[in-house]
Amino acid sequence: MKNLFFSILFFAISSIFFVKCGNNGMKETNIITLKVDEDPTVSFRIWFNVGSQFDPKGKEGLAMLTARLLAEGSTQTNSYENILDKLFPIASSYSVKVDKEMTVFYGRTHIDNINTFLPLFIEAITQPAFKQEDFDRIRNEMLNYLEKDLKYANDEELGKATLYEFIFKATPYEHLSEGTIEGLKNITLEDVKNFYKKYFNNNNFVVAVGGNYPENLPLEIKQTLKSKLNNGSWVSPPEINPLKINGWEFLLVEKDCDATAISFGFPIDVVRGDEDFFPLWLFASWFGEHRNSSSHLYQVIREQRGLNYGDYAYIEAFLNGGTLNFPEPNNPRRKQIFEVWLRPVPHEARLFTLRAALRELKKVVENGLTAEQFETTKKFLLNYSLFYAQTTMERLGYRIDSKFYKVQDNGDYIEYFREKIKNLTLEKVNNAIKKHIQYNNIKFAIVTKDAEKLKKDLLLNAPSPISYPTPKPQSVLDEDKEIEVFPITTSNDKIKIILVENLFKK
Amino acid sequence: MKKFFQFFLIIFGSVMIMKSSSIENFFPFDYKIETLENGLKIIMIKMPSNGLISYYTIVRTGSRDEYEPGHTGFAHFFEHMMFRGTKKYPGNIYDKIITEIGANANAYTTDDYTCYHLNFTKDNLEKIIDLESDRFQNLMYSEQDFQTEAGAVYGEYRKGKTNPFFWAWETLCNTAFERHTYKHTTIGFEEDIKAMPKMYDYSISFFNRYYRPDNCVLLIVGDVDYNQTLSLIKKYYQNWEKGYVPPKVETEPEQTKPKRAMVKYPGRTSPIMVIAYKGLQFNPQDKNYVATILFGKLAFGINSELYKKLYIREQKVLFLEEEFSFNKDPFLWMIWAQVKDEKDIEYVEQQIISTINYFQQNLPDTKKLEDIKRNLRYSFLMNLETPNKVASILARPLALTTDINSINYFYSTLETITPRDIQFVAQNYFVPQRSTFVVLKGRE
Repeated sequence: MKNLFFSILFFAISSIFFVKCGNNGMKETNIITLKVDEDPTVSFRIWFNVGSQFDPKGKEGLAMLTARLLAEGSTQTNSYENILDKLFPIASSYSVKVDKEMTVFYGRTHIDNINTFLPLFIEAITQPAFKQEDFDRIRNEMLNYLEKDLKYANDEELGKATLYEFIFKATPYEHLSEGTIEGLKNITLEDVKNFYKKYFNNNNFVVAVGGNYPENLPLEIKQTLKSKLNNGSWVSPPEINPLKINGWEFLLVEKDCDATAISFGFPIDVVRGDEDFFPLWLFASWFGEHRNSSSHLYQVIREQRGLNYGDYAYIEAFLNGGTLNFPEPNNPRRKQIFEVWLRPVPHEARLFTLRAALRELKKVVENGLTAEQFETTKKFLLNYSLFYAQTTMERLGYRIDSKFYKVQDNGDYIEYFREKIKNLTLEKVNNAIKKHIQYNNIKFAIVTKDAEKLKKDLLLNAPSPISYPTPKPQSVLDEDKEIEVFPITTSNDKIKIILVENLFKK
Repeated sequence: MKKFFQFFLIIFGSVMIMKSSSIENFFPFDYKIETLENGLKIIMIKMPSNGLISYYTIVRTGSRDEYEPGHTGFAHFFEHMMFRGTKKYPGNIYDKIITEIGANANAYTTDDYTCYHLNFTKDNLEKIIDLESDRFQNLMYSEQDFQTEAGAVYGEYRKGKTNPFFWAWETLCNTAFERHTYKHTTIGFEEDIKAMPKMYDYSISFFNRYYRPDNCVLLIVGDVDYNQTLSLIKKYYQNWEKGYVPPKVETEPEQTKPKRAMVKYPGRTSPIMVIAYKGLQFNPQDKNYVATILFGKLAFGINSELYKKLYIREQKVLFLEEEFSFNKDPFLWMIWAQVKDEKDIEYVEQQIISTINYFQQNLPDTKKLEDIKRNLRYSFLMNLETPNKVASILARPLALTTDINSINYFYSTLETITPRDIQFVAQNYFVPQRSTFVVLKGRE
């Protein structure tokens, strides 16, 4: 550690020298850099090629628990308390994000404080203390999240989490990155140490540095990690083959709640960088741009009918959608789903709202977008996408994702994305919809009260007339007549009810 | 938790000023201030932004101004109505234009102000000024639109109700205050939200009283040309008529004894507790006010002794957080904790009280105090990353004071705070008769 510390101190002098010598460290394949001279801070992201898909069966949550123990625990030289004390005056911190495919440690500091920050950050990754008390604290927090927060304090995320589990059943993507309750309880400190040794190895990472950093810093970090981490190799991920969906399959979560949360979707064979990704993105943006009133579903369900707070659609996993306005980088996946998220609606309007959304989906699958809808959404995305990655930290994250997806974007995904959107035609978009979006085979996750009654209504294809507390225009009322009898086709074996208590158990 | 309180955290960011010897040069960006004849104040800040602009209209009215019984939640409801359009740009046309220019447009309401914000590329500046000035002067909506929106607001209330913190928060406000409008939360009392559809006429009067240029601040940050922007602002806003009518908010009587309340949450949750003390109004030049902010960090912040004890060592709490608010009128200084085990509630409460006692009897460590000042300065600097972040950080202090120098004053005061000042505020404000204690327990 000392060596790194001193070498960093030395950078101020040495960086000029390296530039003049034409150091070629930037050609390194597992280094990503983003030089931003006007940024007074330096951003770091260290990507490890490991995620929850590598959790051993029966020990779900191990990847996240291991990573969090590094980011939120003591090291061999500093107790966690000491670390907090040292980071506090420089208003810097480091954290970790763990998703299915990747684990990214990230932190940011003012250039003045790099000599304080960086040694602590590197030490957290290379010299964890693995203390029992840190392990207990973090595991308890993860258990609390699964046992209480997610189930009883946030129905919106609960619905989405349930949908992902339902769609990816029996695959390594099935369980939440936070794990399962039994899985977490089964994990021992020894498991964590072994997992760390195996996956946080010296050939299974990529270093990303952005901002106004000393020229040779990225290479220096890489070399330090290389020498301090255990020997190992880049690991290959397991196959992800979701089960075939037969018709409309429902998972109803019985919960004593005030409103019904609805999510539905199905896997798609398109990921970022594929040719059809961009036309599908435009479609999803039109159909349900995240937290934006331009969303078509939002217009139909919220704007015209006031049934809930918002209605959105996605072709890439969007984490923390209840909190964030824009997607965060570094949760890339090899298998994505088309997902619709309807924010909580009154129980009495649940079936009607579901029908309204399905009817819109059917309409767009059959008819595609109109020229006007296409042109408007295209114009929208060309500017709106500029907000996806504004900070150095975000842009660095996008560079990692581009490397993951092998997108050849010359380091600027947003510009690449805009170029792709610019070149789209209505035909391309409608062809992509035809090819990848459908309404015959869908999985639904619905968190609601009296799920039995909903099951009955679904099976009976019972009409779901709607009444409003306030007057509505005739055009809306006319359309309602069609929505309330929009056919629901499913069967008894395709509707399962689970008590909320029993979710995320194993 | 972070989500619930992000609005407070933003506020905190706003007073974190970098170290500098003079008031003039610590804010790293150039700015220009103008006031139109009708009282509309305009603050423009230039910063590198890749051609992006953040445009904030800050209406200095929030749920605090809902002083008439039965009308709580109206400031927030009205925020929704502002998207319903005008004769020139009806709601759907407004939406279509915003969509086509790919702007990121939204709004939020707080206790003390309502904020309408847009982010867009600079070539669309005139269009945005046209749209925004139009809706603030010529808003028009039918009774039917009004009633539909009431449904969406009730939906938002239901969404909030799935979070136990919301329950605790609602009870805290309702218990701590007797007369002042801080008694209700920004979303309002449920019965008032239910009754909203019947209040069309009231909504018009609300607009006429509060949505006036002399009650607003325009904050424009990013790639701005001062002269060009100002002439556009004059062109579009100069005919907006002044006429703000201040609300008749009652003063909260002095609290004389400690208060306690208990909430039963219908879902499962680890118990949540909050101890809140009646605070002081936001005044960056008031030494006691600023010292209290530092006291909160020292006693309950992430590097405080208590945090380390309860969170890291004993692992009794899932989190411990201080939320010392910035408000127009005296609000609350709160210490929140989520306790793992119900039987530890009393213990954690007692630990918080003894920490306060400690600071009443002992002077804090000078190094710790200086560390906190340093933390605040760097946090401020590091948060000024994008036009939107700068604008969101400045929105609250501008809403409270209209003065960008309030930040400078806060910083100057911060530098002068001594260990003795910390002890003084601990002794004088953190006393039982100013406190409200709320505990929320979930179902078994």
